[in-house]
Amino acid sequence: MDTLFRLVSLQSDHQSFNSSTTSSSSRSSKQNPYHQIQNDVEECFNLFMDDDDFSSSSRHYNPNYTPTPPTTTTTTGSTTPPHAPLDEFSCLTGNWATEILTETAKAIANRNSARVQQLMWMLNEMGSPYGDIDQKLASYFLQALFSRMTDSGERTYRTLIDASEKTCSFESTRKTVLKFQEVSPWTMFGHVACNGAIMEAFEGESKLHIIDISNTYCTQWPTLFEAIATRADETPHLRLTTVMSGGTAAVQKVMKEIGSRMEKFARLMGVPFKFNVIHHAGDLSELNLSELDIKDDEALAINCVGALHSVTTLSNRREYLLSIFKKMNPRIVTIVEEEADLDVGHDGFEFVSGFQECLRWFRVYFEALDESFPRTNNERLMLERAAGRAIMDLVACPPEKSVERRDTALRWSHRLQSSGFNPFSFNEEVCDDVRALLRRYKEGWSMAQCSDSAGIFLFWKDMPVVWASAWKP
Amino acid sequence: MTEDQVISIGSTQNQTNGSNLPLAKKKRNLPGNPDPEAEVIALSPKTLMATNRFLCEICGKGFQRDQNLQLHRRGHNLPWKLKQRTSKEVRKRVYVCPEKTCVHNHPSRALGDLTGIKKHFCRKHGEKKWKCDKCSKRYAVQSDWKAHSKTCGTREYKCDCGTIFSRRDSFITHRAFCDALAEETARITAASHMSNHAAAINYHFIGAAPPLGPTSMNQHFPSIFKSIPTTNNNVENMDPTPMRSQGLSLWIPQDPNHIQDSMPKNLQEIGYIHHDPIINNSCNNNPPPNYQSNWDFGNKISSNHELINNSIPSSNLKEISVPSLFSTQHQSYVQSTASMSATALLQKAAQIGANTTDPSFLGNFGMKSSSHDEMSNISVQNGLYGTSDDHHVENNSMNDLCAMNGQIQMYPSSKRRRTQNDQEINGGEITRDFLGVGIQSICHPSSINGWI
Repeated sequence: MDTLFRLVSLQSDHQSFNSSTTSSSSRSSKQNPYHQIQNDVEECFNLFMDDDDFSSSSRHYNPNYTPTPPTTTTTTGSTTPPHAPLDEFSCLTGNWATEILTETAKAIANRNSARVQQLMWMLNEMGSPYGDIDQKLASYFLQALFSRMTDSGERTYRTLIDASEKTCSFESTRKTVLKFQEVSPWTMFGHVACNGAIMEAFEGESKLHIIDISNTYCTQWPTLFEAIATRADETPHLRLTTVMSGGTAAVQKVMKEIGSRMEKFARLMGVPFKFNVIHHAGDLSELNLSELDIKDDEALAINCVGALHSVTTLSNRREYLLSIFKKMNPRIVTIVEEEADLDVGHDGFEFVSGFQECLRWFRVYFEALDESFPRTNNERLMLERAAGRAIMDLVACPPEKSVERRDTALRWSHRLQSSGFNPFSFNEEVCDDVRALLRRYKEGWSMAQCSDSAGIFLFWKDMPVVWASAWKP
Repeated sequence: MTEDQVISIGSTQNQTNGSNLPLAKKKRNLPGNPDPEAEVIALSPKTLMATNRFLCEICGKGFQRDQNLQLHRRGHNLPWKLKQRTSKEVRKRVYVCPEKTCVHNHPSRALGDLTGIKKHFCRKHGEKKWKCDKCSKRYAVQSDWKAHSKTCGTREYKCDCGTIFSRRDSFITHRAFCDALAEETARITAASHMSNHAAAINYHFIGAAPPLGPTSMNQHFPSIFKSIPTTNNNVENMDPTPMRSQGLSLWIPQDPNHIQDSMPKNLQEIGYIHHDPIINNSCNNNPPPNYQSNWDFGNKISSNHELINNSIPSSNLKEISVPSLFSTQHQSYVQSTASMSATALLQKAAQIGANTTDPSFLGNFGMKSSSHDEMSNISVQNGLYGTSDDHHVENNSMNDLCAMNGQIQMYPSSKRRRTQNDQEINGGEITRDFLGVGIQSICHPSSINGWI
């Protein structure tokens, strides 16, 4: 840490720098760190030196790599780049996290380790998972960048997953998922649209089979049970096969409990129901068809909510999975995906642009969470931590192992169409249901048909965030 | 009503009961049959969909009927005339739906109400122009839409856990994952199991009395009932170890509909309190693990319509007056139970039976429908225990009681009882009693007297 302090202490002649680095108030997370402008940079740095209580990520931050001496001069023999890469931080209000993080990404791409250090130090100072959106972004992205720099992405990711599993239970999962649905239409949007399409596709069928690959823990199905039970004709038989990726013990336990609840609820609703859950470790595209136990006399629907993006982007695995779907000959395939292009490239420009897109996406997500949930809320913290893990996966883990690489509606549509599916538009009633759903939430949510691809978008403040679509072979 | 396009199709074949009922959620209630003598009118779609065809020339306001327009014209000081109903008998009219694919197209399914056929046509075959703001439900008939708007969003859904929802979808989703559901369905399953096997269970419960040792005999009356649920639990759970002291809640009349299933069994146990854990084997249900707890949720059942409708038989049960029955006698009764022989037990029960003032006591034994007719049967059952009434007995109740008789005699021999219990009493299977005498012979009214 001392090295870093010395690094930045040279810039006393830059007023802007002073203002930007006098973040002594960063400890009080809610305040804007830049209100206190001190000319005596040294003094405020001394304050920092005693303060070890940083946010979770870079406790162990050590400059593992020696800073390469820049060509520019220094006054005390340290290696700070004296020019003003920090000038752009002069207006560090608003979206400072985006700026600093982007700079950091660029510095990484340029292999400018000194600068990287510098910036990371700033992020470390200012970031906190309990602060405002910029502070949260700074905290989680810093953690991911650091792991990337130290080639410890997978290991750290594993640690984070394990840590979250310790507190994972049916109760906690239910609480988080249901609370999220209560305050935000993020997941309900897809549920309502897909259920509507599924009901339409299943009209007149008496034996139904739904293959559910989603990350919403079966919260989509109770309303479908109701729709099935209140169908005008005789109640059909329903079989639900849920595919959960990742075979962790905690998830298995949770799904077991969920399964029993689903069965009970279906009994209550008077729907003949059978539930089966498959825990699939490894890539989803390696799914074994025979495990799914598809029967010929049943009408099949495949429901994918936030599932497709977990397939690796390499080797055409995504197209392969879609071809598997086609082989199963479903009546309908319903897809819900988040609208973002999160393929973070390996190096150079690809890395930076992918990183920027990640930044943009997670900022939108955090903002939506922030405005939907009450001020201090444990469920939101859980969701943010999950997002932090996703960030780690995207930034620090290799593409072949990444499970968070979301893609745009346009590209998914192309993939589906080239796999032999045709778009099946949501009928008027379903769209009305979705609009009515959005009306029940706070301001800021809207929906619209996709202009250049199939399906509908959920908009958060006029930014498309979630895409829902239906496809028929 | 303009009748430009009226076509009289002739008579219908059946009676009609009037208006078309709005489509029920699950199954449609078919309108009744129209009057065979009625004149069948087929109106054109245009006519059916038309509203407010009578316009006021002054202000342009539209009215559905000429009568209404005339009354409105009074307000403008315009000459108005109300048409009187024609004096001659007008033939009753029924209307068919012009839509060929509709079931009401055929004269035999015509609707008797003009407004009804108009609404039907709009609802079924019309465009849904009216839309609810809050929930996006659509309606073709304005009055439907208005009625819905009044209640939309005002209805509150209450989960059994106490949480209240204003949105049905969040209520449904919550409900599916709610902990209250887990307990309820356990109880429902138990109730449905009970209703299916109530008769069998009754017999199986005989003798499966809680282990009332001498110490417990002196306990207050409620303790008897306390132990009964445990027996239930035993049977249901195939657990040979009877559990004690599950609590009084069983006997708190929370919901008559709910309690009824428990009554028959428990009453039998009261009659024949004897410890026999082996009875359990006879139960061939798959009991829910929380069977015991089911009894405590009587309140919950009553709050949930679906549960009541689906799984709880709707036979009426008399109020629980049995407790009072026993309160007067239980002291002496229980004290001697443990050491009673089978015959003694029977005699004791006979005394109780004879002394009973509430016919529902024995009437509840294994009987689903406790109509008043059965009260007479009960007296016959009483006769089984000591009186010599000669009433007509319903097969059902007789079977129950005969089986009980058979069971009674089996008390001393638990092994025997097991065999006995393994047989289904329903459907007239003969249960052999201890003496090897067939139930039928015992149950014959004349022989009962002789036997007693």
